[in-house]
Amino acid sequence: MSLVLADLAKSWGGFCAVDAVSLTVPKGGLVGIIGPNGAGKSTLFSLVSGFLAPDAGSVTLDGADITRLAAHERARRGMVRTFQVPREFAHLTVRENLMAAVPGQSGETLRGLFLRPAMVRVEEQAAAARVADTIAFLRLDPVADTPAGKLSGGQKKLLELGRALMTDPALILLDEPFAGVNPVLVEALSAHIRALNARGIGFLIIEHDLPALTRLVGDIHVMDRGRVIASGPPAAVLADAAVREAYLGGSA
Amino acid sequence: MEAYLAAIAAIALIYVLLSLGLTLHYGLTGLINFGHVGFFCIGAYAAAILSTTGGMPIVVGFVAAAVLAGLAAWPIGLVSLRLRDDYFAIVTLGFSETVRLVVTSERWLTNGVQGIPGIPRLFEGLGVGMPSALAILGVLLAVNAAAVWLFFRLVKSPFGRMIEAIRDNEEAVRALGKDPARFKIRVLMLGAALAGIAGAFYAHYIGYIVPDQFIPLVTFYVWMAIIMGGVGRISGAIVGSLLLMLFLEGSRFLRDVVPFISAVDMASVRIGAVGLALVLFTLYRPQGLMGDYTRR
Repeated sequence: MSLVLADLAKSWGGFCAVDAVSLTVPKGGLVGIIGPNGAGKSTLFSLVSGFLAPDAGSVTLDGADITRLAAHERARRGMVRTFQVPREFAHLTVRENLMAAVPGQSGETLRGLFLRPAMVRVEEQAAAARVADTIAFLRLDPVADTPAGKLSGGQKKLLELGRALMTDPALILLDEPFAGVNPVLVEALSAHIRALNARGIGFLIIEHDLPALTRLVGDIHVMDRGRVIASGPPAAVLADAAVREAYLGGSA
Repeated sequence: MEAYLAAIAAIALIYVLLSLGLTLHYGLTGLINFGHVGFFCIGAYAAAILSTTGGMPIVVGFVAAAVLAGLAAWPIGLVSLRLRDDYFAIVTLGFSETVRLVVTSERWLTNGVQGIPGIPRLFEGLGVGMPSALAILGVLLAVNAAAVWLFFRLVKSPFGRMIEAIRDNEEAVRALGKDPARFKIRVLMLGAALAGIAGAFYAHYIGYIVPDQFIPLVTFYVWMAIIMGGVGRISGAIVGSLLLMLFLEGSRFLRDVVPFISAVDMASVRIGAVGLALVLFTLYRPQGLMGDYTRR
């Protein structure tokens, strides 16, 4: 699934948070976005995922213009996002969090629930099996039946990824997946992302943790003050003088 | 004395129905509904009008009460579910006051402030007294049991899981490709239908309804019930309603022990007593008697 952003823009009053950003995530691509705080990365994500409406520009998914679609409709088309601050369903267990993410459940309609209980049971069993696989894949077994609100920050990040996976996505937008995650878990998370990418799932990742991201992605875009100031393979981009000035403060 | 106890029990069971509806709205889904009495009012008037001037069998009134109250919730859901929580609270409060004003002014239909007298009581054939009182309690218990059963079915289902997910984090639900509004409208309608049935019971039990019985205070009594019992729990709704009746009715006897209080003052003292109980609960047991949804 390819994602094309063309001249996306969003201003808050006089402040231009995202300024004519254009970039492409090819089918099955693994693309990163870096930039200092306030560069407009998270705003860009909200524009792409439908949580904010852009002032100008377009979002195209597999050739279809989705700029005006609601957030849940975009997710249904196979593009799901996670959040920088995990938004777990705190009072549901890890297992229930993942179950809730399974699409197309007839047990979520009142008609299905009361008129087709047998069908609902069969679907629940199928979903439970998929959830068990995802829990095993993410090594969340020890906390599978713990309320998600009680997980550590790193485990919540894993859960966010797991929930996104349950929707059968073709493209996952990760908002700072490594923030607040201990180094061991960063490696594990990177390995999961690589494994999923090898299965054909595309990723667009916003990240602050530069080394972790540069080891992971094929292409990188650098944002500063709402604009993309450099794009390309990580090594080339990081050598760029403007990038060093903006992102690394010229000191590194 | 038996008759008095039976009356308290009947009103308490009507409050349990109201509390179950609000638990569905707020405790499970997080909808801050400050207009629950509006649905109660619609149910009561539907049943009253159909069984008096309408000349319909009582059962028809009950069905109409549930359906009309449920349908009344639909447009509220459509226009306001995209609003933030606090705005939703204001919209629902406005709705219930609008309902009260409509039944006050539309005299051709509701007889205005004079209200509707002579609503047939349930089981009149059994005569006035204990037999009919017990029969009414039996029906109320059966309806409550059915509501609780429906509730459990709902809570322990994928639908129930999703509404709790919405309560915990609506944006995450949207990010996963599900439309929270679709679930919230259904929840709103279901809880409203329960309140409508409660209204029908109320009309047939009291036998006489006027708009003043449907002031916002009723909504807040139901809120007090679920807060005292424990938010988001079926047992909390039941225990809280019974506790509320204990405070409301128990404070009635205060007059025998507290001197220098007239009957008019007493009404205020009762509300004060319930308010004090609520304050003490939020201070010392904020999760309610039965514990709230945070304890699983």
